[in-house]
Amino acid sequence: MTKIRLLLAKDLRLLGRSPALLAALVLYPLVFAVLVGLVVRYANDRPKVAFVDLDHLPETLTVGGQSFNVPRVISQVQGSVQLVAMDEEDADHELANGSIVAEIVVPRGFASKLRGMVESPRLVLRTAHGGLSSRVEQQTQALVYSLNRRLQRAYIDANLQYVKLLVEGGQGSFLGDEFDVVGLDRAAQMLEEIKQSSNDPVVVQRAEELSVFVREARLALGASGESLRATANPIELETDTSGGRTWLLSAQLQAYALGLTLAFICVLLAAAALAAERDENVIGRLTRGLVRLAELVVVKVLLAVLVAVGLGVVIALVFGVLAEAFGVSGGEPWQRLPLLVLGLALAGAAFGAFGTLVGALARDSRTAVLVAFLAALPLVLLGLVPEGAARAAWWAARFFPFSHAVRFFQASLYDASPWGTLGREAVWLLALVLAFGAAARVAVRRLAM
Amino acid sequence: MLLSARGVARRYGRVVALAPTSLDIRTGEAVALIGPNGAGKSTLLSILAGALEPTEGLVEGRDGTGRIGWVPQRPAHYSRLTPRENLELFARLEGVDDPPTTAARFIELLELPDDGRLTAQLSAGNQQRLNLAVALLGRPEVLLLDEPTASLDPRQRRRLWDVASRVREREGAVVFATQNLEELEHFATRVIVLLDGAVVFAGSLDEFRRAPEADVFA
Repeated sequence: MTKIRLLLAKDLRLLGRSPALLAALVLYPLVFAVLVGLVVRYANDRPKVAFVDLDHLPETLTVGGQSFNVPRVISQVQGSVQLVAMDEEDADHELANGSIVAEIVVPRGFASKLRGMVESPRLVLRTAHGGLSSRVEQQTQALVYSLNRRLQRAYIDANLQYVKLLVEGGQGSFLGDEFDVVGLDRAAQMLEEIKQSSNDPVVVQRAEELSVFVREARLALGASGESLRATANPIELETDTSGGRTWLLSAQLQAYALGLTLAFICVLLAAAALAAERDENVIGRLTRGLVRLAELVVVKVLLAVLVAVGLGVVIALVFGVLAEAFGVSGGEPWQRLPLLVLGLALAGAAFGAFGTLVGALARDSRTAVLVAFLAALPLVLLGLVPEGAARAAWWAARFFPFSHAVRFFQASLYDASPWGTLGREAVWLLALVLAFGAAARVAVRRLAM
Repeated sequence: MLLSARGVARRYGRVVALAPTSLDIRTGEAVALIGPNGAGKSTLLSILAGALEPTEGLVEGRDGTGRIGWVPQRPAHYSRLTPRENLELFARLEGVDDPPTTAARFIELLELPDDGRLTAQLSAGNQQRLNLAVALLGRPEVLLLDEPTASLDPRQRRRLWDVASRVREREGAVVFATQNLEELEHFATRVIVLLDGAVVFAGSLDEFRRAPEADVFA
C-alpha cells in the first residue's frame, strides 16, 4: 500500500508539473460545464413552436353558447413556448432542420366539429427527436387540458339546455333540425287533465303511473346540472411550482457532461500515465522487485479515480451554480453530492482501468493517447444510442463504462428512488473495473519486456 | 556465488536476442561483457537485473530488492522530477532507511545538481550519474552497468569506476557492458565476448588478451 501511495503521489506531482495537461484538465471540464450551463439556460427559455392553422379559425369561436377568443387562447400557450404562425410546408421544413422544436396543427374541420359537439376534434402535435420534444409535448398537453376544461363547461351548459328543454318544453334544434318538445312540466299537466276527464279506470291508472314517472324524472333532471358539473371535474388539480428536483432535462445534461468529460480524460490520462513509465524507461526498474505489476495497474486506476472525483466535483459545482443563477428547477445537486462522488469514483476507476489496458497494449505514450482517444470516441457514441434504437450498439455500449456512469449520475442526482439504479450500475462499473483491470494486469507484462 | 544465470535465453518470435547462456558471478569479480551492437549484452544484463524475463532458463541469487543494482544504458528515472525527488522516491521504494539523508549523500557523492531543476533539464552526463545513483541506493552486492561511461567526461568516468570498485571491495561484484577496451584493461577481471546473441569467449583478462577474439575488438 505504501508503494502504491508513493507512486500515486509521484503521478500527481508529475501531473502538476505538466502545465499544458493540467490546463487541459482544468479548462476542459470548466468549458464543458459552462457550455452545459448555457444549454440549461436555453432549456429554461421558451422553445419555438409552429402554429399551423389549416382550418382558418375565426377570431371568435362560439361553442355551446360560449364564445372563445382564439388569439387569447393561443396567447395562453405563449407563456410556455413561443408560438409562431406558419403554413404547413414551412413548419415541416423548419421542424426538419431543427429551427423549431414542434408544430401544433389545427386540421381542417376543427371548428365545425367543435361547434357540432358530437365528435371530438383533434389537434395534431408534431415534435422533433430531441431533448426538448418531451417538454413541448408536456406544454401542449397542458394547453389541450386547459382548453378541454373550458370546453367542458360549454358542453355541459349546452347539455343542460337540452335537459331544460326536456323539463320545460319548447322549441329546440339538433344538428340543424328544428323541433318542438312538450316537456315534462306540460306532460304532467296533460296527464292530470287526462286523469280528471276520463271515466275509464284503466286510463286513469295508466295516467297515474305516467305521472309518477314524470314526477321522478323532473326531480332527477332538476339535479342533473350539479351532477354533470361534478362529473366533469371530479378532482381539481392545483399546480405547485415552488420546488421539485426531477427535471429530466437538466439531469440528463449534467450526467452526460460528467460522463463525457470523465470518459475522455480518465481513459487518456490512465493510458498515457502507464505508457509514460515505459517512455521514461522506468518500468523495468520498478518491476524488477520494487513494485508488482498489479500494483502498477492499481496506481493508474487510482490516479484516474482521483482526477475523476476532483474534476467531477468541479463540474457539479459549476453546473449547480449556473443552474441556480439561471433559476433552473431541479438544478440543485447539493444534497446528492456524496452519492455523486461515489459514482465519480466508480466511473473514474472503470474508465481508468480501460485506459490502463490501452496504455499497456499501446506501449508508448503518444500511441497510447491516440489509441485511447480513437477507442473512447466510438464507445462514447455507442453509449448515446438509446435502448431500442439499435439493439446491437446498445448492447456493445454496456461493456464500456460510459452508459453505466451516465445512468449512475442521473440516478444519484435526481431520481426520487435511486437505489435500484445505483446498485445495478455500481455492480456493472465494478465488474468493468475488475475485467479491464485484470486484462491490463496481463497486458502490462508486455510493457516490462 | 553472488548471482547465477542458468541457460538463460531470450527470443522475440523467431529472432534470438540471446542464446542459452550460463554465467556465475563471484565475490570481488569485475566481469566485462563485450561485443558489437546487438550482440546481446544489454539483454543479458537486463535478464540478470530482473528487468527482462528470459524465455528460457533462470537466474539464481536475485532475492531481495536491493541486492542487485542496475544501470541501464538509457537512463531510467522520472524526467519531470528533480534528481533529489527521484532519489528519495526510489529510496523509499527500495525500503532504504532515512530516504532524504540517503538522497543527500548520493547527490554529494556523485556531484549531482541540486538546484531544483528537473532531471529532463540536466545534461546527458548528469542524467547518467543520477542513473548510477539510483542503482546504488539499495547498497547492492552486484552492480550491473550497461555501457555506463558513454556520456561521461574523463573525471566522471574515474568517479564511476571508483564507486564500482567500492562495491567490489565490500565483497560485491560488478558486471559491465562496454565497447571501450581501455576500461576493460583497467577494471575487468573476467571477460565474456558475445556475438549474435551467443557467448563466443569467456575467460580471464589474460586469456582474453591472448585469444583471437581480442583482435576483433582491438
